[in-house]
Amino acid sequence: MKAKWQTVFLSIVLAAVLAAPAMGADTIKLGALYNLTGGMSSIDAPALNGAKLQAKLINEAGGLLGKKLEVIGIDTKTDQKAAATGAKKALAMGVVAGLGYGDTTFVMAAAPLFQKKGIPFVTSGATHPMLPKWVGNCMFMVPFGDDDQSFAIAEYTFNKLGAKKVAVWTDNSMDFTKALSKFFKQRFTELGGTVVLEDFFMMGDKDFSAQIARLKNAKPKADAVFISAIPNEAGLTVKQIREAGLTLPIVSGDGFDTELVTTVPGPKLANDVYFSTHTYREDNRPEVVAFIKAYEKEYKRPPENAFAALGFDAVGLIADAIKRAKSTEKNALRKALAATKGFKAVTGEITYSRPSGVPMKGVSIISVKNGKYKVEEVWFPKK
Amino acid sequence: MSSGYIAQQIVNGLILGSMYALVAIGFSMIYGIIRLINFAHGEIVMIGAFTTLGLLQYLGLPFPLVALAVLIVGAVVGILIEKGAFRPMRGAPQVTGFIASLGVSIMLQNLGILFLTAQPRNFSFPDYLQRVIQVGPVSFRSIDAVIMSIALILMGALLFLVHRTKLGMAMRATAENIDVARLMGININRTIMATFAMGSALAGIAGLMWGGKFGQIDPLLGFVPGLKSFVAAVIGGVGSIPGAILGGYILGLAEVLFVGLLPPIYSAFRDAFVFSTLILILLILPNGILGKGMEERV
Repeated sequence: MKAKWQTVFLSIVLAAVLAAPAMGADTIKLGALYNLTGGMSSIDAPALNGAKLQAKLINEAGGLLGKKLEVIGIDTKTDQKAAATGAKKALAMGVVAGLGYGDTTFVMAAAPLFQKKGIPFVTSGATHPMLPKWVGNCMFMVPFGDDDQSFAIAEYTFNKLGAKKVAVWTDNSMDFTKALSKFFKQRFTELGGTVVLEDFFMMGDKDFSAQIARLKNAKPKADAVFISAIPNEAGLTVKQIREAGLTLPIVSGDGFDTELVTTVPGPKLANDVYFSTHTYREDNRPEVVAFIKAYEKEYKRPPENAFAALGFDAVGLIADAIKRAKSTEKNALRKALAATKGFKAVTGEITYSRPSGVPMKGVSIISVKNGKYKVEEVWFPKK
Repeated sequence: MSSGYIAQQIVNGLILGSMYALVAIGFSMIYGIIRLINFAHGEIVMIGAFTTLGLLQYLGLPFPLVALAVLIVGAVVGILIEKGAFRPMRGAPQVTGFIASLGVSIMLQNLGILFLTAQPRNFSFPDYLQRVIQVGPVSFRSIDAVIMSIALILMGALLFLVHRTKLGMAMRATAENIDVARLMGININRTIMATFAMGSALAGIAGLMWGGKFGQIDPLLGFVPGLKSFVAAVIGGVGSIPGAILGGYILGLAEVLFVGLLPPIYSAFRDAFVFSTLILILLILPNGILGKGMEERV
């Protein structure tokens, strides 16, 4: 009797397994690789939510090429090995394109496997400007490059804030933060400014009193301080610098695009902070408004951060290319992606016209004054 | 490098050291009495921080009342951990207790993530605790002054309790030799429980200070203070209360002065310097600065 039950059970499982590909054959599959658990989850989980939302909206509007779009989410656990395994898994499932990640390290673990098979991979949030060069012609970026966001804030600091001498603080534990500082210093000195002090810290540091004392005593005095940090240290540094009685402007990149910048120091101390980020926060273009409305309806809360919008855009970008290619064949899709021009994404228009493969995309400069965010200007790359 | 700059760095180090010292005391007391390296001690800092957040920010209780409540919550959690995890293992090899404490630590962290989410939360103290005070070239905040004074008062009270009261005598006797103490009619269970309660209450208060100083807390914040207080206790001589206090201040000062006095390029490597100091001190003084031989400990 027992053996019979097992046979029945096994045959049901077998039937289900065999039927699965057949049932899935009329969908267009996208493999979404994200770190839903671990250190990157606060960035990656909202991105996958955004990606799934976009697929849902496209399907509600009738799908693509007469088929439904299916976003297969794979959790790679903030682990590079799991990222590579996840990429293989997605490729084995026959995805037409991959997307994912808010950090360069993980893209570098997964994207080369897509490149090898000639299947496009679109990163929703990784910003290293060398990514398309490193991986190859199947690599596409939704966000701007780190060079652009650093150039934007460097020019704003020099021209609009009138700072001629800056101090630069760098989180020494990440490629992203080091690259941000490098590009900032490059543009700031090109403009004629000087870097009077460089200081460093490590992701996870809580106490910045020693660095602050040095900043206070810098000779010549710094007119502004550039802090290259990820969200975890963003609020902590602003709070401690202001509490030490320093009032100089604090400038940064998209690592500061977090509520912690205002909530940790409180509205009185969260003042005179400027950062460059994806054109999304405090923006009122129709794409942004519609996205926020749809996200709130689907998940019963506002989008957590810009990465939710970037995930939404990644699927949108691929869908747009499929529509233009009228096919999901890998070469046709790759060519259509590369030919993207003026795609109206939530995080700004995307055009791939540069040889570097990094999109020409606007960068928002956002100011924080007494705990309030305001878009000061949108910066565009010149070439 | 001006004298004002150095004075500022020393004050910064002392403030950080106060927090390490408070956590290190409990760590050292518990080791002294039952030879247990309690890795769950840092998690009580986290519980103290979240208790403060709840009582101060959500219930709006006045600060002195919150401080008192945090002391009590810390003590109660300490007692529960002792009763639940360590008492059943009394008499087992040291490594068993050590592994159990790691288990408790990971469990508390994950409970925190489960119920409070892993996202950092902001934490703000009333305005009168946030004022900037300028003394000559040195500036600090009123909360820093409160941290230093609470730390000194509590450490004084603890030293008095251990050296001048009957309970303290029982604690010292138990630390000296648990079996003889039992034969002398000391209630071992109650004494050990009291040690856990006191040590954990101090760790809870350190959590309040941690939140107040940095303004951002998360369920994993206990790991670093737990590790650092372990280092502080070892530097000072594990098992010795004055040693733990001294070790805490040395560690706080070392950390800030390494960053403050060395060229900035080394700033990111403060922990590497801290742990090198630990190794150096242990090479010269294997029992720590105030530690006695392996057999007699207070």
